[in-house]
Amino acid sequence: MNQCFEKIVIAWCWLSTFLLITAVGVVIGFLVIKGGSALNLKLIFGDTAPLDALLLRRAVFDGLFPAIIGTLLLVLLAILMAAPVGILTGIYMAEYASLSVKKRFGFFFDILAGLPSIVVGLFGLAIVIFLHKYISAHVYPCLFLSAMTLAFLVLPYLIRSTQGALEALPNTIRRTAPALGASRVQNLFLILLPRARDGILNGVILSIGRCAEDTAVIMLTGAVAMAGVPRSVFENYEALPFYIYYISSQYADQQELLSGYAAAIILLCLCGLLFMSALYVNYNFRRGAMNRV
Amino acid sequence: MSELPLNDAITESTTAIQVRNLCFNYGHRRVLNNINIDIPQNSISAIIGPSGQGKSSFLFALNRLWEEIPGSRVSGQVRIRFDNHLVDIDSPDCDLYELRRHVGLVFQAPNPLPMSIWKNIAFPLRLAGKKNKTEIDNRVEEALKQAFLWEEVRERLRDDARHLSGGQQQRLCIARALILEPNILLLDEPTSSLDPRACETIERLLIELQTSRTLVMVSHYQDQVQRIASHTFQLADGTLQPL
Repeated sequence: MNQCFEKIVIAWCWLSTFLLITAVGVVIGFLVIKGGSALNLKLIFGDTAPLDALLLRRAVFDGLFPAIIGTLLLVLLAILMAAPVGILTGIYMAEYASLSVKKRFGFFFDILAGLPSIVVGLFGLAIVIFLHKYISAHVYPCLFLSAMTLAFLVLPYLIRSTQGALEALPNTIRRTAPALGASRVQNLFLILLPRARDGILNGVILSIGRCAEDTAVIMLTGAVAMAGVPRSVFENYEALPFYIYYISSQYADQQELLSGYAAAIILLCLCGLLFMSALYVNYNFRRGAMNRV
Repeated sequence: MSELPLNDAITESTTAIQVRNLCFNYGHRRVLNNINIDIPQNSISAIIGPSGQGKSSFLFALNRLWEEIPGSRVSGQVRIRFDNHLVDIDSPDCDLYELRRHVGLVFQAPNPLPMSIWKNIAFPLRLAGKKNKTEIDNRVEEALKQAFLWEEVRERLRDDARHLSGGQQQRLCIARALILEPNILLLDEPTSSLDPRACETIERLLIELQTSRTLVMVSHYQDQVQRIASHTFQLADGTLQPL
């Protein structure tokens, strides 16, 4: 009976994994088949010479280049805002907070993680309106406020992943350095954080994906259909998920719809690039760890 | 250890550790109840008893490592000999990190850090702020020699410490604890995960070390205790009795 049950569980695990990989394969395959033909330099740079566009010598009006740059800036800015706050809060929750604080704050962070992004987007919009009305009439929806709202959206992922990674460290590792006379801060920076780095990085990767795909937040806080490459973070901007959203809902012909699929491929590649960068940083840290005390 | 306050000067005594009315609680559960013992200098004192009775907790009370364990609470008094004086380790003036550098602890499972052999041994010196490379080199060599490990690793000091065998890793952990020249060395079942040959080497090492240090060892092995311990205490129902 037990053996039979074990076999069923193993088969179930294999089947679930297979289904998941197949689903990912189908989604990517579907995009490539649909959008592959529309994917070309003209789609990205329009009639502008690629080199001129890349060097920002000439504006791109009918290509995805401004949306790619907008998305890249948006993700980087949001992660730069969210990571220090999220990781430090996670460290506080894991290492310094009392049990009751952990319970209470943890509950709020879980609620925050469960908030629909449209609600967070409305919150961002409310902030824009408040700032416009009471602080300065020059405040409008812009890249900076979008990134700030997105940072708010991904904070709970960063907090929980950092907290989880630190709390998962076994006591043998946790107590090694204190037994040798290390202070709490020395233990944290020399032993615990390097050992929890992979878990923390998972939270960062999850956050990158979340920032890159979210449409609800950015459409309420600064993303527009035509803006060109933003010259400052306080301007409107274009973003790939917003382009995919409005093209798929308002396409005029089949070619436009195909360009939406192609934009989705570009967005996937962009996320892949950001993930690889995060992994590369982690790899370099790991190599360096052997040479550091 | 001149930073520590001189609570009492019992220079004529040979007591290294004096424990009075020590109680240890995990949450609402009392693990150690009113323990009173004196552990003499330059000896191996073995603590024996069934699992889960608080033997490790007793060791953690001697270097205040219990403070790193959420939900634990200690009352009573522990005094430890530094520079011929017994010092209350809970005194507000007693520097916690200095205390832990002078009361070394070796854990049950070898726990080398993910770095080279040399860096593992030098780690406590770096924590203590030592920067002189020649001094660190000399003390690493000395600690490895004390732990009977120098000859086996002298050619591979830059290798990852986790690639050593179990017995070598445990001797590395002992060397790491010895590098700060502690007066007292606490050992929490130091041979429990090792084969008989590695056990024998560690036992020889402990006998050698007791000539200059006070060792308090938790052990499950009756024969090992009989072979090397000068004093034996049994921990049962939260109390510690000499055998």
